[in-house]
Amino acid sequence: MIRFEDVSQRYGEVQAVRGVTFGVPSGVLCVLLGESGSGKSTLLRMVNRLIEPSGGRVLLQGQDVAGIDPQILRRGIGYVIQSVGLFPHRSVAENVATVPRLLGWDAARIAARVDKLLAMVGLEPGEYRARRPATLSGGQAQRVGLARALAADPPVLLMDEPFSALDPATRRGLQAELRRIHANMGKTILLVTHDVEEALALADRIAVMEAGRLVAEGPPLAVLGWETPASVRRMLGAETLAFHRLSALRAEDFALPGFAPGAPLLAAGGTMRDALLLMLTHGTDRAALAGEAARHLPLSAILAAP
Amino acid sequence: MRRAHALALTPLALMAMLAPWWLGWIAVAPNRLLSPRLAALPDTEPVTLAWAAFHVACLALLLAAWLPHRRRFEEVAAVAAMLALVATLGLGASAALPEGAPLARAAPAAGAWVALLVLALATAVAATLRGGTPTIPLLAAVVGTGLLGWAGLLDSLSLVREATGRAAELRAALGGHLFLSTSALLLALVVALPLSVLALARPGVEAGFLGAASGVQVIPSIALFGLLIAPLAALASSFPALREMGLGGIGPAPAVIGIAAYLLLPLGRGLLAGLRVAPADLLEAARGQGLSPRQVLWGVRVPLGAGVMLGALRLAAVQAVGLATLAALVGGGGLGTIVFQGVGQLASDLILLGVLPILALSLAADAALAALSRLLPSAA
Amino acid sequence: MKKAALWLALGAVAFLAALWAAPQAEGLWSALFPEVSRPAYVQESWFVLLGSHLALSLGAALLAAMLGIPAGIAATRSSGRALRPVVDAAFTLAQSVPPVAVIALALPLLGFGAAPTLLALVLYGALPLLRATVTGIESVPAQITEAARGLGLSPWQRLTRVELPLARPVLLAGLRVAVTLSVATTAVGAVAGARCLGTPIIIGLTNANPSYVLQGALFTAWLALLLDRALSLLAGPQSSP
Repeated sequence: MIRFEDVSQRYGEVQAVRGVTFGVPSGVLCVLLGESGSGKSTLLRMVNRLIEPSGGRVLLQGQDVAGIDPQILRRGIGYVIQSVGLFPHRSVAENVATVPRLLGWDAARIAARVDKLLAMVGLEPGEYRARRPATLSGGQAQRVGLARALAADPPVLLMDEPFSALDPATRRGLQAELRRIHANMGKTILLVTHDVEEALALADRIAVMEAGRLVAEGPPLAVLGWETPASVRRMLGAETLAFHRLSALRAEDFALPGFAPGAPLLAAGGTMRDALLLMLTHGTDRAALAGEAARHLPLSAILAAP
Repeated sequence: MRRAHALALTPLALMAMLAPWWLGWIAVAPNRLLSPRLAALPDTEPVTLAWAAFHVACLALLLAAWLPHRRRFEEVAAVAAMLALVATLGLGASAALPEGAPLARAAPAAGAWVALLVLALATAVAATLRGGTPTIPLLAAVVGTGLLGWAGLLDSLSLVREATGRAAELRAALGGHLFLSTSALLLALVVALPLSVLALARPGVEAGFLGAASGVQVIPSIALFGLLIAPLAALASSFPALREMGLGGIGPAPAVIGIAAYLLLPLGRGLLAGLRVAPADLLEAARGQGLSPRQVLWGVRVPLGAGVMLGALRLAAVQAVGLATLAALVGGGGLGTIVFQGVGQLASDLILLGVLPILALSLAADAALAALSRLLPSAA
Repeated sequence: MKKAALWLALGAVAFLAALWAAPQAEGLWSALFPEVSRPAYVQESWFVLLGSHLALSLGAALLAAMLGIPAGIAATRSSGRALRPVVDAAFTLAQSVPPVAVIALALPLLGFGAAPTLLALVLYGALPLLRATVTGIESVPAQITEAARGLGLSPWQRLTRVELPLARPVLLAGLRVAVTLSVATTAVGAVAGARCLGTPIIIGLTNANPSYVLQGALFTAWLALLLDRALSLLAGPQSSP
């Protein structure tokens, strides 16, 4: 869906992006992970041509974006940023309707779409439609931002540190919301973050950037695996990497059949990390898995995980 | 906070109350050419009632400054005092003029002027302490004075007689003044608006534009008008079509161009500041949604900066009204014509007849644009 | 800095040379204004006009500074707080009255000559200076004055060693505005009989002599620009208007 081919960018003396090549398949949520200044935002903003690459090209559905009128291009790509950027002089509904209006939809269709989207991001349309952005909390504003990005049903969504300014509880709530929406709508999403946990919570694939270079790319497990270069592991926090890896593994995949009497119960869909935390909390050496068949996960399975 | 009101307003209220008794209420002259002498305030019932009302209003101002606060009460009291004083002067003048002496004239004396000035200052002080501007109450005082005049209360004042005698001339000068200031404002806008938009993207344009505009500020207006006369005259004589359009070395053209040149700095600065109100991430979000540069300008930058831009327009409008006074020197007309006529004849009535409408105009322009900016929907 | 001073000196020399040459340059003026019979202004020496222009405007600025700066200091002392809203209000009111109106209004009281102009000059010079003094001193961060108090400085020492030095840039900017305004208003004062570089402009306008107008306007503008440059040089680079 999105493909970067030997993309570079330099600002005067500074080489912000150096020869990056990789692709994001259709329907995949890909997280661009890296420290600030690693070039990840620059790369993201080349997709909707807010920045033009100084070398290489960016393809969208096989077409070079350089050949598409930037305004037409952007109207077909959802865009969410950290500061949300809601227009303070327009109501929530008007904000969400920005792109449909640019595309010339009729009023009835826009109104229906706005209500549907507000409901989808968890905001009661009747209550929020007419509100001004200044009256929203940070989390609510970002929900509106997400609805605005999805308004014209674009196949691709670009998200630049969308949850970084939110408090941890709100952030987790919105991450879950994004996963649900992604599962339901099957959009191709490219999301930039510097937060390893967020990357693991969201990503189908992770691309790690360091000093303008792509240093690792693939499914989370592979990226966090032992074969990853030491520099990347240091960047991701080598001492906690093993712990992070556990969040990329689903407990069910390692479960053993059989009953575990007295063991605490792990919720469905839990990760290996959740299982470990559960065992630590309860002081047991095994956890029971929810489900039809009797299954359990012993501590040894966690220690032996690849 | 209350203390600040009391400390600042008490001396002003007392001064306003006492100044007319000390420096005189009205002065009477046997005719227009002889110099006026202080006259006692006539002891008729309406006059007594009026000066009593004036004192009550001054005391109300004093009291309001000391008492726990009602918003704007001080300003209302000060304006009431001004109007009561004006009424006292009008009634006093008609009672003081001797019967059967049509040439005799009565004018406010120094004490009355001091009291009016001090009350205007008190209004401004109260407005400043409230965190506002004194435009509206002062405009109310002007309108109230107009109503008193319309009711015939002020007919005996020499200033009003002068105004009635020169009604047509005054109207023409007022119209000319409005024309000069509005067209200069429009001309400045036509130049400043595109340059400001251009300067958004190009720092070079900004430096050049604002640099030139602040260079103009330094040049005395009379010199700038004078410098424009010769080239405009040359232009008009080589292109007769321009002359037919009313362009020439002497007349409104050099004044309008000169005034507009002075407005470029306040307008340019304010427009640019307004266009820059929208924060960078908001603009980025707008561009990211696929808004065209024009849509970003009109849909995001202009609505968000409208308040700041209107503020600049307000400042420029007030300056334009003031600067238009000098247009009379280069034959541009306007209220300055009456002022300079008065200067030539050393006639204070005539000077006042020119100056007072200028003050009223600048207050009205200020109030109108302030009201307009209050109509703007706020973002919050 | 040095280069700018050199250019300024050159500009001043050129200005004086032009003042000297103007009455001699009959040929130039008659070439520009062939219809004017006596195009060179020779009634008075340009140097006399310049001298009285400078004396009037700089003298008034000095007077304004002597009134405005102490008043501004007083308004920032705790005992003078009451003065503050009056200062702000007077400033607001004065801005809606053009200086020429003040000159005109003062004329019947003070008569023709320099007096009404001087009054307007002092009024319009003192207010911005007063305001600049107040803003300058108030812009000194509270923790700095606190620290000065903590170090045991007396109120007078705090004023002269901490507040005024820190307020200097704002004060100098105010002084620059006051002098610029003073030079410009002096030129208008020619209407009320003040002798200055504006006098030939007024004489030219009343006698339909555009050559006088041009000469007067040229030299008035030149003087204003020179003084502004000089003041910005004195005030340092950070105080451009």
